[in-house]
Amino acid sequence: MDDLERVLKAHPFLAELEPDPVKFLVGCAKNVRFRVGEYLLREGDREDTLYLIRQGIVAIEVPRSGEAICIETVGAGDVLGVSLLMPAAAHLDCRARETVVALAIDNTCLQRKMTEDPRLGFAISMRLLERTYQRLSRARLQHLDVYR
Amino acid sequence: MMASPYVPAAMAISRAVRELADVFTWTFEVPSGFAFKPGQFNMLYVHGVGEVAISISGDPATPEHLMHTIRAVGTVTRVMEQLGEGDVMGVRGPYGSAWPIDEAKGRDVLVIAGGLGLAPLRPAILRVIAHRADYGRVTILYGARTPADLLYRQELERWRGRFDLRVEAIVDRAGRDWFGPVGMVTRLFDGVPIDPGDAVFMCGPEIMMRFAVRELEKRGVPRDAIWISMERSMKCGIGLCGHCQLAGSFVCKDGPVYRFDRIAPYLTVREL
Repeated sequence: MDDLERVLKAHPFLAELEPDPVKFLVGCAKNVRFRVGEYLLREGDREDTLYLIRQGIVAIEVPRSGEAICIETVGAGDVLGVSLLMPAAAHLDCRARETVVALAIDNTCLQRKMTEDPRLGFAISMRLLERTYQRLSRARLQHLDVYR
Repeated sequence: MMASPYVPAAMAISRAVRELADVFTWTFEVPSGFAFKPGQFNMLYVHGVGEVAISISGDPATPEHLMHTIRAVGTVTRVMEQLGEGDVMGVRGPYGSAWPIDEAKGRDVLVIAGGLGLAPLRPAILRVIAHRADYGRVTILYGARTPADLLYRQELERWRGRFDLRVEAIVDRAGRDWFGPVGMVTRLFDGVPIDPGDAVFMCGPEIMMRFAVRELEKRGVPRDAIWISMERSMKCGIGLCGHCQLAGSFVCKDGPVYRFDRIAPYLTVREL
């Protein structure tokens, strides 16, 4: 458990978060590892896990018949599954392009903790909103196809 | 190159290379004595069709091999695409401002390029490499649409193989045969050292450059340490016709390379 606390504290998503989220989240989190080619999420899956990526690269892909188009890669320090705040099904595939080491936080458990401690809930919601906004900004620019 | 800045010199294309599906590079052999500064451009004239401003993309150490990399995107450049070795063009120049290669000496250099924006930066990169000991850390970040749209790919790979350069490329979208990162060029910023003391040379789509400047500012890089190359419709090349006017500045004469703090107020003015 000490090791899990240390790893949680070290992840940029939780860094300097007030109130300290580690003791709340440690019961919701576990270390996970994905081999090359394994999926963290597949289109249509229920998004029941928030992944804090610690190592490796994840390709976010749009599956198409016979091929997949990668629209973004994420790596150490990034977060996957930001739509945890509302029930949602994944609309993209997230595939490990290298061996991926991550913290998997159970969404049901996390939402319960966020409800029990509204300050923590607000702080985590703001972090998720910031990440979502950054990803939306990048997606908008990519959509403009500026290099064409 | 020529006696009068208004009169093109006739030059035959000595080498034509297809770079990408819609991008090609021409080389002209020019008389000795011609010189240009990295970042400058020439006006290329297709007889009976029109004239366009094209950045010089060759090595400033060998200016007699005058190179231009061109995207076939408009009326003139689509005709250019049909021409080849031996065809004669009108060429006048060089015009415009240059990358501050000397001012950057002693500093870390960060080059940020997007799409065809690598072409005007290539002479600056080659000059820095040729005088490598004069600079600190040199980092090149390059964004393109897809892996098939990476300009000068072989040269990028050669630069990447050097111990004294850091080269990173990212694409907007890719298939599974691409093993590099995917996303906006600014996604590369977290993986490389960026310091307020860096000299930043940047060229690419204007919207990409504005976004990149915001991300650089978050990392403490001041606007007066960032230089960008601007693109506007240039006609005369010598600041007389006004086609490329940007507020009180003419991009052909005062640009295309500007220090960002001097041009920033105009970049967000609508319809300017």
